[in-house]
Amino acid sequence: MAFISLQGVSYTYSGRKEPAVRNISLNFGQVEKIAITGLNGSGKSTLAKLILGLLKPQNGEIILDGRPVGKYSLVEVGEKLGYVLQNPSQMMFNTSVYNEIAFGLKWRGKSKNEVHHLCKRYLDLFDLWDLRGELPFNLSEGQKQLVALSAVLALQPRYLILDEPTKSIDTFRKKKLKDILQEIWRQGTGIMVISHDIEFVAGFNGRRIHMAQGEVVEDAGRYKD
Amino acid sequence: MQVDIRTKLLIVAIFSVLALVYQDPRILGIILLLNLLTVTLFRISFNIFRGFKKFIYMYAMLMIIQSFFVKSGEPLIKLGNTYLLTTGGIFYGISIILRFLILVGSGLILVDCNTSELLLALVKLRIPYEIVFMIQMGIRFIPVFINELQNIFSGIQLRGVDLRKVYKRKVLRVYISIFSPLIYSVWLKAEKLSILLELRGFRKFPTRTYYRDISLKKLDYVVISLSLIVTVVLVYVLRGL
Repeated sequence: MAFISLQGVSYTYSGRKEPAVRNISLNFGQVEKIAITGLNGSGKSTLAKLILGLLKPQNGEIILDGRPVGKYSLVEVGEKLGYVLQNPSQMMFNTSVYNEIAFGLKWRGKSKNEVHHLCKRYLDLFDLWDLRGELPFNLSEGQKQLVALSAVLALQPRYLILDEPTKSIDTFRKKKLKDILQEIWRQGTGIMVISHDIEFVAGFNGRRIHMAQGEVVEDAGRYKD
Repeated sequence: MQVDIRTKLLIVAIFSVLALVYQDPRILGIILLLNLLTVTLFRISFNIFRGFKKFIYMYAMLMIIQSFFVKSGEPLIKLGNTYLLTTGGIFYGISIILRFLILVGSGLILVDCNTSELLLALVKLRIPYEIVFMIQMGIRFIPVFINELQNIFSGIQLRGVDLRKVYKRKVLRVYISIFSPLIYSVWLKAEKLSILLELRGFRKFPTRTYYRDISLKKLDYVVISLSLIVTVVLVYVLRGL
């Protein structure tokens, strides 16, 4: 059974005539590695928000782990899916980089030692440990992106949705991110990357879905039940 | 009915002042009726009032709290020497609710106004452009602020944290820890905006011109005169109550 299943999903933003996503039917497996590509405004981010239940489809249904997404609370969705927004600033709400990573871990009942260990591990991944005392808002866009990524990775979700994860990061860290994603995928985490970074997607070696004007125009390497 | 925004501002000012001057629920009831009539004349939807059903318990609490502090009237429910509900409390509670509804109704009159027209109207009322611009930015920042807040709460939940299940004292700590960076982020946005304004030559010259213009028409003079006459008559008639 597919982990995420979209059946005839359409969504139109209020005040717009054209749907952002139209009649999309897709199945994603639990351990699939997917890259969703497309030009700006092709509906990629809207698709992610629909999967997360942040937007409710006007038509069709989205099934997450056997249940319609609408039946889950956002907290329950968060327990199943890790999501990094296109704009990382929107995910920052703590007074230090360390607290940003520790936040979810603490509230999920991890012990002090575990929290510290995981914070160190995931901040070290992107060489951010030295910035742990900094206010997240004062970081560069690329650093914010990596902090947001680390905060989500530290929660070790079953499935990861990354919206434009390479938007502001340098070539060196881009390569590092690719390696890290490859590693966590090998460990059994499903990954969906939404990106128009052709170079990054090309080396991603997974199923590739291309979107245009809210529709899927290419699906290479379809998931089979 | 299409009138100039300054006419609407005058009507809003009249209703707001009347709501604050009078305390008697009967008078406030009359003012609310006139307010709703005005809203109807401007063909504005009353949908916003539907949301007030949610506050019904708050209204009830308001009456009880008023009963604690306002010792006038007859006690209706008494616990030992403490008055839980008095007619005076109900009286003042209803007054506050009516005042609130009048103020919301007055705000509704401006709901369909174009922001740039509103600002132009304020400039025409001789309010310094810098202050008008600050108001414009304030209006612009409300949705930004709400959006930031929504994103933060979505972000918290998507990290699997259910604030409803967290112990209340800790929730307060979470809210405090969220609000300081939130205010800081809005402050950063404002700072960036001010830099952008300077770069675009804001206040480089002492005067500025406007592409759009607004002017009072015959209908505006009629509405303004009628509003003032009705207000004077109302104040005169109600002075005995």
